[in-house]
Amino acid sequence: MAQVATVAETRPSSHRFRRARNRVPVWHLTWLVLAALVFIVPIYSVVQFSLAGVQPGQSPFHWYLTVFDDPMFRSSFWLSIQISLETVAVSLVLMVPTVFWVHLRLPGLRPVMDLISILPFVVPPIVLVVGLLPFLEKITWLFVRPEVLSLIYVIFALPFLYRALDAGLRAIDLRTLVEAAESLGAKLPRTLLRVILPNLRAAIIGGSLLTIAIAMGEYTVASLLEFSTFSVYTYTIGTSTAYEGVALSFISFIFVWGAMLGLYLLGRGGRNAAAVAITH
Amino acid sequence: MATIELRGLRRTFGSVVALDSLDLDVHSGEFVSLLGPSGCGKTTALRIVAGFEWPDAGEVLVNGRDVLGQPANKRNMGMVFQAYSLFPNMTAQHNVEFGLRVRKESHEKRAKRARELLELVGLGTAMDRYPRQLSGGQQQRVALARSLAIEPSVLLLDEPLSALDAKVRVQLREEVRRVQLELGITTLYVTHDQEEALSISDRVAVMSDGRVEQFGTPAQIYNGPRTAFVANFVGTMNRLEGTVVSSEDRVVRCGPLMLSVPDPTFNHRAGETVELFVRPEDISLELLSNGNKPAPGLFDGRVTSLTFLGPVTRVGLATDLGPLLADVSSAVALGLAADTVVAVKLDSTALRSIAR
Amino acid sequence: MALAEPGIRSAVLVGSAPRKRSRSRRWALLGVLPFFAYISVFLLIPTGELIVGAFRTANGAFTLSNISDIFRAPYPQAFEFSLELSGLSALMGGVLGFLVANAVLHHGVPRFVRPAFVSFSGMAANFAGVPLGFAYIATLGTLGVVTTLLQHLGLNIYPSFSLQGLFGCALVYMYFQLPLMILLMIPVIEGLRKEWRESASNLGASSFAFWRYVGLPVVTPSLLGLMVLLFGNAFSAYATAETLGVSNLVTIDIANLINGDISINPQDAYALALAMIVIIVITIVVYALLQRRASRWLR
Repeated sequence: MAQVATVAETRPSSHRFRRARNRVPVWHLTWLVLAALVFIVPIYSVVQFSLAGVQPGQSPFHWYLTVFDDPMFRSSFWLSIQISLETVAVSLVLMVPTVFWVHLRLPGLRPVMDLISILPFVVPPIVLVVGLLPFLEKITWLFVRPEVLSLIYVIFALPFLYRALDAGLRAIDLRTLVEAAESLGAKLPRTLLRVILPNLRAAIIGGSLLTIAIAMGEYTVASLLEFSTFSVYTYTIGTSTAYEGVALSFISFIFVWGAMLGLYLLGRGGRNAAAVAITH
Repeated sequence: MATIELRGLRRTFGSVVALDSLDLDVHSGEFVSLLGPSGCGKTTALRIVAGFEWPDAGEVLVNGRDVLGQPANKRNMGMVFQAYSLFPNMTAQHNVEFGLRVRKESHEKRAKRARELLELVGLGTAMDRYPRQLSGGQQQRVALARSLAIEPSVLLLDEPLSALDAKVRVQLREEVRRVQLELGITTLYVTHDQEEALSISDRVAVMSDGRVEQFGTPAQIYNGPRTAFVANFVGTMNRLEGTVVSSEDRVVRCGPLMLSVPDPTFNHRAGETVELFVRPEDISLELLSNGNKPAPGLFDGRVTSLTFLGPVTRVGLATDLGPLLADVSSAVALGLAADTVVAVKLDSTALRSIAR
Repeated sequence: MALAEPGIRSAVLVGSAPRKRSRSRRWALLGVLPFFAYISVFLLIPTGELIVGAFRTANGAFTLSNISDIFRAPYPQAFEFSLELSGLSALMGGVLGFLVANAVLHHGVPRFVRPAFVSFSGMAANFAGVPLGFAYIATLGTLGVVTTLLQHLGLNIYPSFSLQGLFGCALVYMYFQLPLMILLMIPVIEGLRKEWRESASNLGASSFAFWRYVGLPVVTPSLLGLMVLLFGNAFSAYATAETLGVSNLVTIDIANLINGDISINPQDAYALALAMIVIIVITIVVYALLQRRASRWLR
């Protein structure tokens, strides 16, 4: 039994194996690079384009400054924010007690709820507007108020908020918590407020961020109902002056990036973000 | 059949040392188990042999040739994983045929071999079933058949029975051993279950923290543990502390007793404190009639607990030598209750000392 | 008397228990009433209205003329283009997304790659709509950054290329189809158990053989299912195409009818919408069937 491995022999072999272990095939690298290009090139182009086309003597940020100076920019952005927040408020007030109730008292209704949460995909925004318009036109007092957009956006946000709340409630043992609270003397509304909601915080915040992203970016309904939301404003400005449209596009990008960062920091980036994409 | 030699295997994951200069050799046709708790490196060692991990240093020789340069799919070894390894989209038959299919064997040859092997593991009737239609034990049998289909030089098993029910585990380990003996295939088996390792292996390597603590036959490991770890890990051991009275005669004083240690490798000097180990089954009890002192060579103890284990009852005792566990037949134990005073006898031929 | 009372009371209770349970369930249903009322008003009734409306003239009389209008120009071309665009972008996004997801999960890849791709995918998937349209106008439009770059290199993509054409628009759609596919495909590939790959390798299979005999067969139902999802996603899209100036898309035709720009027969909007719903329902059914197949093996 000869004593084999000398120190000199072991060192080269360890290098050999470390390299073999970590080598990434060219095949995979190609696709990663290609995907990276697909993602980055348009953003880069946006930045480049929005800083171009300026007259000599003007600031390179000319288009951004023009846009910021436009009062319509501020008012449309503010309008969109308001609508987004209203959507979140209505959505939460409507959905949180409902999903809570179904989980607690009506578990048999879960399949129905699952089915309903898919319906907004069957009826995309453009189709929904077709059905809603004649009905809304008759209710003139509502029709002219931007709040009507919030009410409609609740439907678009429904699948994602439902999924987030459903998952959040499934993660906690709802029945046990409620019974424990009951045995300590708490009534149901109080239990919902003090016991359940804090445990659902991540789901609610995640769902709300998604809702805001949807509401801020929505164009179809807003344009057809003729409201000047941020995306409608972007379209109007952009189709007349491409440079400004692209500058606004970059501003949108920063906003969406921020919202997604918020979602990702909540640790649920992948799944939920994928969900939002299915609304455009 | 092949021989396996592991020389100086070393592997770290970040700051954790998984393998610390491991040496092992497996003879042709031998069944060797790597036994140890989680994290001792046994699975890492096996995966290095299989080719799914690489060591930072060291060699793996199969039949004297270094295999570390070969990728996993060229080493011609059979491997059985803990669970979930059957391809879900194929029947049992096609699973077993897979290795042969990759080697471009003919349809008839593949089918014949698959049938042979499935019958060998007792599943000749299940050839057309899908993995999801098979129980855990059946799946592992198919996995075994599949790994043998390619006529490997070496068989590797990574805790193949851990995910199964206790009764199935006992049945199946006999199966594995039977198949191994019939084919005479060199086998390396990883497990944390010492009963499993001791019952089916030719030799057992007890591992801890990346090193082999002891490598020997099951009897050697069980009856002659050479380190405290092995003594404690394999079976249950009582630990006694004593002072050496005479090094030549190998006499140690433990409490009121003078014990003679039969171990010829006993090398402690007079006055040293040593640890002695004795197994519960080597301690016997006698009921003491009230007030009587125990006979010479025996000492008294008070029953502190009784644990019914089926054929034996484990009796916890408080004695002058410290707390002890004794296994007595359950019939005898019927006469015992908490706080009963008994006479305790140690079988001194079963005393072991661990070399420092 | 005292003894009889509990007996009577318990008999009454036993007798009324079932009724009590169904009554409490009815009260419980009341709790979800607001929700169902809301979706009825804003989703179910409008959908019903448009389904019915597809079969009615402007005066309310029953007719099939709206439906038959769909088969007259320019709608069939619009459907053709919409379906081709959806199919192409689903195929492109699906295949590339699968390859990228696989690459991201490769064990040799640096640690930062996966979170980088996941978070960027999340971002990109939500960039769709008006901003995306302008982003691509800035990239591949007539004055786009990449267009100009290619011109410098001697390559003139115009006039054969157009952002409003099939390939151009599909390329733009890739921006949200690709990340969606990546995000949804990663869990599917992770569902391919490590033990399968290692077993295959142990039995002598190369990476290619593994994919051929095990990997692809197991993953294909999910892969197809997700591509069908991408198809439905693209089919429903409106804002991006509108910004790019695409003209012959079903969603854009519907929008034009609503705006009254083409006031041939506004009732046609109902028929078009109904057709869209039918197509989407078909895609969802196909998706559900494929998912069921997929879950057989990836559980």
